[in-house]
Amino acid sequence: MKQSEAIIERVRRINPAYQHLELAVDDTLSRIKPGQSLLVKTGRDWHPYLRVQWHPVTIAGAKLVIERPAGEHYDVGQVVDVLGLVGQPIRFRRNLRNVLLVAYDTPPTPILMTIPWLMGNKVSVTLVLLGTARQYDTAHLNPEVEVIKGDDDLNWQNQVMTVGWADQVLAVVHTDDELGRFKKLVARFEERRAIIPQNYLFGIFNGDLPCGVGACHACMLQTRQSWSLVCTDGPAFDLTQITLD
Amino acid sequence: MAIQITRTGKNTLILETPVMPAAGTFGFGDVYRDIINFEKLGAIVTNPISYEPRTAAHGARVIRLDSGVLIHTGLPNLGINKVLRKYRTLWTMLPLPIIIHLIGTTPDHVRKSAARLDEEEGVDAIELGLNDDISQDVAADLIHAATSRTEKPVMVRLPTTDTMNIAKIAIEEGASTLVACSAPRGTARDPRTGHMMSGRIYGPIIKPMILRIVAQLAQTFADIPIIGSGGIHTPQDARDYIHAGARAVQVDTVTWIQPQLLEHIARDLGGWIVTRESGALPDEWHPMMGDTEKKRRNQPDIGYDEDELMDKLRR
Repeated sequence: MKQSEAIIERVRRINPAYQHLELAVDDTLSRIKPGQSLLVKTGRDWHPYLRVQWHPVTIAGAKLVIERPAGEHYDVGQVVDVLGLVGQPIRFRRNLRNVLLVAYDTPPTPILMTIPWLMGNKVSVTLVLLGTARQYDTAHLNPEVEVIKGDDDLNWQNQVMTVGWADQVLAVVHTDDELGRFKKLVARFEERRAIIPQNYLFGIFNGDLPCGVGACHACMLQTRQSWSLVCTDGPAFDLTQITLD
Repeated sequence: MAIQITRTGKNTLILETPVMPAAGTFGFGDVYRDIINFEKLGAIVTNPISYEPRTAAHGARVIRLDSGVLIHTGLPNLGINKVLRKYRTLWTMLPLPIIIHLIGTTPDHVRKSAARLDEEEGVDAIELGLNDDISQDVAADLIHAATSRTEKPVMVRLPTTDTMNIAKIAIEEGASTLVACSAPRGTARDPRTGHMMSGRIYGPIIKPMILRIVAQLAQTFADIPIIGSGGIHTPQDARDYIHAGARAVQVDTVTWIQPQLLEHIARDLGGWIVTRESGALPDEWHPMMGDTEKKRRNQPDIGYDEDELMDKLRR
């Protein structure tokens, strides 16, 4: 964990809803892996008070491309205070061929960084957008990513096939009720696949991280054995190992 | 610098710096070691622990407020036995005193916990946390339960309600230090769910409220050290508490937002801050140092003494 400064070198509007920031960071932060994030403070005053979690979507050398809502204002040359790296890299299974990414009622931003890494390792990627995630414009994504838009009730075309083919699933849901939404998702996967093996269905937890280092315990999750912290042990957790009630 | 933060007794606690993190903001001494130089802090106050394990609160735990945050974690912890097993070795190795924050649950649990902590070599003091709506009788029982079973100093973290009366009881029951105060409670609507959530409020706004309490405590109870805690976000905030009568301060949630600020405040109040560019040791560098000062230090030797030159110009 390190506190450092980073410079916004480019601001690019990718669609009406989102912009991409090119962030020049120091060497430590440029070693970020899919799943990890940054906690950023943009101003010198105390509003907003808590740091905001920034998710890179790609890495270009020592620059991270960060996806932020278009409504936020950033200037080229702006210096931001960064705390990172937050979390652990996602552990992918060996011999991966197909990965299913699922975004439910939230933009898929926290899982987009996996795409270049997976594509680079010749893994095919399917992105399923459910609920309000359907509004997410995918035109800027790698054209090799198969995008499927489902409905509000967790249905999508060829569901049995996509669930069956996937070697690993990474899901992100709206933070208003992460456990409840993940529980619905697990139930849907159980309907489509008789047994959910371990290390198959992962939830990417994306709630507020006040400290990001494991000090405040506000992001604690109850696991089958004990408990874990999203900021230091996550954000990816095998949903079969988390107590979702 | 030596600051006595507990009443004089068998295990009087003396700190080199009157600044420490507040309970619940700094883990168990296992985090922030990459960012903060622990040697510059006065002590570490651990996250709250209870006799039995506690699970995390269900549902939303964090609500962002204007210039602050409302948090309700449920004080999750592994219970005293597992916590001691996990961190005992670390605490004996850290170069500063360890103060355990004990949650005031029941007198029986507090008594047993105090007895366990009394045997721990790496524990220097106990900070007993009291509920906000606690009655004076229950407060007396809990404090007595702690002080009667340990020779280590028992610091009592006071609630923001009925503070003066609870402080009086704490002194009568043998508390070594008063910590003022726990963060005040509040309620806010979670914008994501629309539900109301209760929790503790943190941020710069709570400082004036707790500063007043500290001043009142210091005027009323002159014989017991007071530690001020709440809303400290700058070295001046910390100095304000000392000015109001606190012997030391605890820095809370600002550590999450600007971790280096905790060290900066500790250096400032501990007399470590560098005010001249010459004669400073390399380890006196810290990231909060101003850019101007950095640049001047990095300049090559200009071949004359700047102070002498200024003297000549003045003449």
